[in-house]
Amino acid sequence: MARVIVVTSGKGGVGKTTTSASVSAGLAARGHKVAVIDFDVGLRNLDLIMGCERRVVYDFVNVVQGEATIKQALIKDKKTPNLYVLAASQTRDKDALTQEGVERVIDELKADGFDFIICDSPAGIEKGAQLALYFADEAIIVTNPEVSSVRDSDRILGILQAKSRRAELGEAVKEHLVLTRYNPARVEAGEMLAMNDVVELLSVDLLGVVPESQDVLQASNAGTPVILQEGTDASEAYKDIVARFLGEEKPQRFLTVEHKSLFRKLFGK
Amino acid sequence: MPQPVSLKGSVLSLSILKVASADIDQVTQALADTTSKAPAFFKGLPIVIELDVTIEDPMFLALLVEFLHQQELVPIGVRTQEKGVIEQANYAGLAVFDPKDKPHVDKALDSAAPVVDAEAKSLPQTAMMVRGAVRSGQQIVAKDRDLVIKGSVNPGAEIIADGHVHVYGAMRGKLFAGSNGNVNARIFVQKFDAELVCIAGFFLLADDIAPAYRGQAVEIYLVDENVRFEILS
Ligand SMILES: Nc1ncnc2c1ncn2[C@@H]1O[C@H](COP(=O)(O)OP(=O)(O)OP(=O)(O)O)[C@@H](O)[C@H]1O
Ligand SMILES: [Mg+2]
Repeated sequence: MARVIVVTSGKGGVGKTTTSASVSAGLAARGHKVAVIDFDVGLRNLDLIMGCERRVVYDFVNVVQGEATIKQALIKDKKTPNLYVLAASQTRDKDALTQEGVERVIDELKADGFDFIICDSPAGIEKGAQLALYFADEAIIVTNPEVSSVRDSDRILGILQAKSRRAELGEAVKEHLVLTRYNPARVEAGEMLAMNDVVELLSVDLLGVVPESQDVLQASNAGTPVILQEGTDASEAYKDIVARFLGEEKPQRFLTVEHKSLFRKLFGK
Repeated sequence: MPQPVSLKGSVLSLSILKVASADIDQVTQALADTTSKAPAFFKGLPIVIELDVTIEDPMFLALLVEFLHQQELVPIGVRTQEKGVIEQANYAGLAVFDPKDKPHVDKALDSAAPVVDAEAKSLPQTAMMVRGAVRSGQQIVAKDRDLVIKGSVNPGAEIIADGHVHVYGAMRGKLFAGSNGNVNARIFVQKFDAELVCIAGFFLLADDIAPAYRGQAVEIYLVDENVRFEILS
């Protein structure tokens, strides 16, 4: 049975699209059939991060409006088998998506045998974000370790619990937390919230912590989900997240400062 | 020396058993089904009977009362204006309440269908219970009753009750107790860090609350229009 997952945050620019791309690629790499949908109409950038922007012919809006079929619009990823992208339109406005249209697309993807349907939400708590979360069975809440981001995540959790279809049916949406752009040095200096404080306040199970890393920007410039940048901390963090999402137990990492010892520096060891 | 007896105004809550069938077997069967779902809850529960049908059987009330006693419920009265029923009530030793009176009566305690209304609710209205976090932007309102939150109330959330408020978690949002003007309403919080507390319209903002109470388990109440804190140990 397909699982519909929304990746959402409330606040903008916290790492939803980065997380959507890496989680989708990670699940597909483990053999699951994955479709990732960009709900950020007008600001599409999932296709950029996935490196398939030049191959977008038809997009999500075209399918919702009945101007193209799902088969025409799904872009098969070149690097990872089983991974398909449904891009957002750059030229349409936000109102181009309708609830009925979105439901039809999701139902069709389910019927096509997809295991995971990942919905990359736009920022905010208004219509666009509500549409992205409405059909979700599970939610990945993306948060940065700062007060305004946590507050917005709290609000979007409230909306999930009140306005999703599952909520209307009296069922729970399973919630997961991804704490990203985590900088242990700044946490130690008291400039950022610590992981424990964020988890305690949101009371959502922690899927994982992604450290602040230059590799993320480089990967997105290269059009590759950072999870595929072997050997980087961000890649390792997202691999852990995918494993935990699939039910595996892994100790949390990337929470402490890597103290470069003076000895090593001096003696080059 | 105090008076050996004194009569106080009644402030007790009673549950009402609405009966919508004149067939005693049908009624007792439905009641047995309902009480078996939560025997501990029904044990010793004071009950006022309200008949929504015309009773022909002169033994109806006596049989019902006997059955209620068997189920360990405590029938104490009947809500009726009908002569025949009043007679039966007198005979059965039950008090008679006027249906027009609405003394402190909890929401109807209906025994299960088909004897009573279709969407029978089997529990009386007690405190409102909320499990899990109350999140930023959410508002919980407990009208005419107490409020129990098992979880945290996050910054930007509001919880409001006409009665007392209990929070078994961290209280970081805004909190209103006794919001219908009840100055005796109290607040119990496991971990206090609220943005605002208000009892019956008398409030304190976070900045006006002594830091010593932050993070503590506290009880909050009014003394002469002043909001007072006490640390619970
Ligand atoms: N772990 C990280 N370390 C450093 N930079 C990161 C990290 N995660 C994301 N970023 C950067 O943050 C910016 C926003 O990321 P992203 O587009 O994924 O966020 P978003 O939540 O989808 O934004 P929007 O709300 O605009 O859709 C990008 O420039 C991205 O490279
Ligand atoms: Mg995005």
